[in-house]
Amino acid sequence: MSNSSQSLELLFTFLSRSYTTLETNFFKIPGSAVVARYVKSSHQNDPGRTLLEAILIIFAIRTLLQSRTRGDQSAKHFIQFDEKEIDELVDEWTPEPLAQPLSAHEQAELASVPVIVGPNGPKPKLASGKIVTNLASYNFTGLAGNEEIKVAALDTLKRFGLGSCGPPGFYGTQDVHIQLEKDIADFLGTEASIIYSQAFATISSVIPAFCKRGDIIVADRGVNFAIQKGLQISRCTIRWYDHNDMESLEHVLESVEKERQKRKSPLTRRFIVTEGIFDHDGAMSDLPKLVELKKKYKYRLILDETLSFGSVGRTGRGLTELYNVPASEVDMLVGSMATGLSSCGGFCAGSHVVVNHQRINGTSFVFSASMPALLTVAASEGINVLRNSPSILTTLQENVRAVRAILDRVDCIHIPSHPASAVIHLQIRWPTLQVPSAMTATPSSSSKSSRSNPLLVKPRDPPQFNVELEERLLQEVVDEALAQGVLITRAKRLRGQELIEVRPSVRLAVTAALSRKDCEKAAAVVKAAFVKVVGKRR
Amino acid sequence: MSSLPTAASYLSAVSEADARARAHGATPTSTPALSMSSSVTSSSEDTVLDESGVDVADGLSYPRVPPTSDQVFTTVHSEFGHCANEDYRYTSQHRAGTPYKSIPEQDPPYYILLTTYISYIIVICLGHVRDFVGKRFRRANYKHLLPWNGYAALNSDFDSFYTRRLKLRIDDCFSHPTTGVPGRTIVLLDRYSTDYNKTMVLTGTRTRALNISSYNYLGFAQGKGPCTAAVEAAVEKYGWSSGGTRLEAGNLDLHQQAEALVARFMGTEDALISSMGFATNSNIIPGLVGKGSLVISDELNHASIRFGVRLSGANVRMFKHNDMKSLENLLREVISQGQPKTHRPWKKILLIVEGLYSMEGTMANLPIIMALKKKYKFYVFVDEAHSVGAMGPRGRGVADYFGINPREIDILMGTFTKSFGAAGGYIAGNKEIIDRLRIQGHSFTYAEAMTPPVLTQIIASMASIMGVTMPKTPEKPSSPSLALLRSPEPAPVIPESEVIPGTAPASALPSWMPLVPSMIDGSDGKMRLRRLAFNTRYLNRGLRKLGFITYGTDDSPVVPLLLFHPGKMAVFSRMMRTRAVPIIIVVVAYPATPLVTSRVRFCLSAAHTKEDIDEVLRACDEIGNLLDLKHADGERWPVEEIIERAVELVRMPECP
Ligand SMILES: Cc1ncc(COP(=O)(O)O)c(C=O)c1O
Repeated sequence: MSNSSQSLELLFTFLSRSYTTLETNFFKIPGSAVVARYVKSSHQNDPGRTLLEAILIIFAIRTLLQSRTRGDQSAKHFIQFDEKEIDELVDEWTPEPLAQPLSAHEQAELASVPVIVGPNGPKPKLASGKIVTNLASYNFTGLAGNEEIKVAALDTLKRFGLGSCGPPGFYGTQDVHIQLEKDIADFLGTEASIIYSQAFATISSVIPAFCKRGDIIVADRGVNFAIQKGLQISRCTIRWYDHNDMESLEHVLESVEKERQKRKSPLTRRFIVTEGIFDHDGAMSDLPKLVELKKKYKYRLILDETLSFGSVGRTGRGLTELYNVPASEVDMLVGSMATGLSSCGGFCAGSHVVVNHQRINGTSFVFSASMPALLTVAASEGINVLRNSPSILTTLQENVRAVRAILDRVDCIHIPSHPASAVIHLQIRWPTLQVPSAMTATPSSSSKSSRSNPLLVKPRDPPQFNVELEERLLQEVVDEALAQGVLITRAKRLRGQELIEVRPSVRLAVTAALSRKDCEKAAAVVKAAFVKVVGKRR
Repeated sequence: MSSLPTAASYLSAVSEADARARAHGATPTSTPALSMSSSVTSSSEDTVLDESGVDVADGLSYPRVPPTSDQVFTTVHSEFGHCANEDYRYTSQHRAGTPYKSIPEQDPPYYILLTTYISYIIVICLGHVRDFVGKRFRRANYKHLLPWNGYAALNSDFDSFYTRRLKLRIDDCFSHPTTGVPGRTIVLLDRYSTDYNKTMVLTGTRTRALNISSYNYLGFAQGKGPCTAAVEAAVEKYGWSSGGTRLEAGNLDLHQQAEALVARFMGTEDALISSMGFATNSNIIPGLVGKGSLVISDELNHASIRFGVRLSGANVRMFKHNDMKSLENLLREVISQGQPKTHRPWKKILLIVEGLYSMEGTMANLPIIMALKKKYKFYVFVDEAHSVGAMGPRGRGVADYFGINPREIDILMGTFTKSFGAAGGYIAGNKEIIDRLRIQGHSFTYAEAMTPPVLTQIIASMASIMGVTMPKTPEKPSSPSLALLRSPEPAPVIPESEVIPGTAPASALPSWMPLVPSMIDGSDGKMRLRRLAFNTRYLNRGLRKLGFITYGTDDSPVVPLLLFHPGKMAVFSRMMRTRAVPIIIVVVAYPATPLVTSRVRFCLSAAHTKEDIDEVLRACDEIGNLLDLKHADGERWPVEEIIERAVELVRMPECP
């Protein structure tokens, strides 16, 4: 005992002596005092920085000696083989084919996709030669085909050619892009906005631009696939709340806060991620409540308005207009020019800080060519049209109401979508299984107080449904409607790749480009198709 | 430089040439016979006029030498330069029997490396001092970088240090706004900053600059020409919206025509198209590999590939850039070891490389990769974003360049943003794989479909490279203008046996699409390919003869010129931009490249004329002397000699 402590003491004196010699020698170097003071103070101020500087120096040395391949041979699971053994193993190895051939079912799925010949619009012509009423394509406000936009687009084509031939950082930023970004920001009432060249690739870059490992995201269980991919890339801590359930959200926020206080973990970035109108079922978020909660718990809100921008609100500004919430309350407002403005690409609107950050950190913004000028101008002009003719949105809402009036009270149809949503999901309502939707599905056996586990994406009582059967029936409905001259579509999903299984549905997209009469007629056809296919099985 | 023609003198020369041409009996608007040389087509005065609102006496809008009577051009000179000299042509092709090699990477003298590090250290130290002081005395400016009111900073001072303290200093070299066609020249919107680049103010004036930065390899970025006419017709007929995803209700006949044409172009069984190049990788790779699979990725692969691989959940291993020895060692290791921990054999191994690396100018060493593939049974995915169209005697990309059968490569991916002047990307391969990706990739189910104008640009530019097989009973050859006005009815299907190999049968193109003779006989495409190949070799070799350190191969239209010093990037860029004939270039540094190898990148185009490249060489020569950039070993030529002997230099099998 005393022996060991003695030797320890020896060691310490040796260490301290060598330290003092090192120190005196160090201070003999001219200018060293300054360095030492700098290191000390910066260390006090921010220990991470010392580390950074050390790493930078090491990095510099490493780059000099550059060797950038990564070997794995030090890993403890490494097995040593000699060359002959390796050759044998190589010979033995037979890989799976790169792609499995399609099953008959998958082939039928591909074959069932309608081909539109000529322009897509309210009454497109199909490959069969038939002219149909279109309740499937996104053209909420009928901007596709607008004459004014066409003139502007053609003029742009002559001045710019088609492609931009470069990413935004390298001369791909054209004046029309700057103009569209300004138009979107002005239209929504945010400080700034940034445009991406594909809507689907927007939010999956926006999320990881801000949310890093260690940050916290509280997300809705029903978020769309693009958001799921963004969450996956970001690698941050994710907590889930029940689909569109503000009470559940508050509960999760509360529990995260408690956890943080218990662990005394440092302050990290925290985000609520959800959608305006959900891609999965057309439900609508309660924006005022979301904003209230995010302020109360000091979260930032990332709101995906892909389906609500250009379809709800007095002039199509989306949820913020509908609920009269200033858009500046939403920290990152993501939307789509492809669905909302019948052009292409997506955007993220927010403060200057939010937008400028993405200009360097939004992966699919930085590493991809900017949008073709012609389509950029088409989007700008689209905003103009919306701004100047609010009657389009009125027409759209009337059409939505007309369709809903016919489909709302059909026995075999369940509609989880919000009454104002131009995207209407039609699910099958079974008489025996009382599981019309996820939210109301509360089997009597479970006690009311127990909640879903925020750590798991699976809700506590997931709704039960037979995907295969329902998809098959819905496809029959789609085929039947098509035979009667109405183009509708099943909501397509990557089964097995979505985080939770989404209930099959037929997705309607109502447009202002059709007359109310046409909409009613088409809705009646859809109703009849449902009754014919599903009704008889009930 | 000495004899810049004025607009007036130029126009009078053009009209004289016109008059002479008329005297020879050819009306300027008529279309000459199909066999005539591509650069010698029809003429009119508007080939030099454009309406971007800049001064045209800038030395770029007009050719130095007015055309002679039999040189008549249809392109706008500022978009696609006039060059009739058939000597300034070359073919991009790998010399059979030689191994692929890129220019050996030379290290600069040690004092350069040392001062490079020192300059980084100085800038970093300065940055820290400014942060230190700033945080104490100018808190308001740092508010968004520090925790505030219970919110963590969106982007902490620590995370954003590099951006704020290094990149911001030279931000005037990035994201310069432009307008108009990104062709041979581009119009910059002039700007300045009063707050050290934090914000930029547009002055309202414009500058036309020689554009050696856009990915416009074949010069299809044009506001006037057959492709633009086709797009115009498409907008008239189809509008500009597809209306949804491919599997829901945005599936047009144009999509299917374009996909079939891409497959034909690439020489594969099938192809699919996605509306964004980046997303083609990020959405499709997850449909290809997953848990239990291994992706072997070149360390310098593009961000979109990394994004896709990360989403796929497959394991990833990297090998040293283009180092085939390192690749083989890695293959031997991973196949013998199997999956981590369990040592189960991998389900499959996918090697992902790029055809042409956009920051390096190097190409994937495909001949060796294909040999390794036979032995190690991995699958090959080649991202041809930069090489398709730009390389190979027929513009079909790296496989064409090396003379490899494209069907031996499992997946050929590429984008339309570059050579085709469009947008989006494709995946080509055998039908089984492509169909699987249609069902299992994310694009078709969730992403918006490509729009009709973009599809048409792809179809038109691709047909222009391929040439078109017209139906057997042609419209009367005596009236070639009929070819311009094709009947709106679909053309009769041309049997596969009658299609000239490699061309597009007219029945595969939209029936309303206007065709011109130079497109039908493929002469337009051939001219573009051959001009690009000449320009490429000329600049690559010219720069090396001047003594610059460059990377890549001589046939790469992407030419990186090494600067090393971060400070020289800004100076180089500014000096090029403010010359009498302004030239815009791209500078890249860490993190896009290793810390010490900051560089300038030139992207050549078929639209450039030899005089343009001369101009670039002269500019580089001057600035290179000033900035001490010429450090390469090897024989040097004075710049005027290089310009003089350009054709000889390009045609040498090896650059001495
Ligand atoms: C290798 C590679 N892949 C993909 C892309 C993305 O293409 P796009 O700009 O069409 O999105 C690029 C673009 O820079 C690239 O260089």
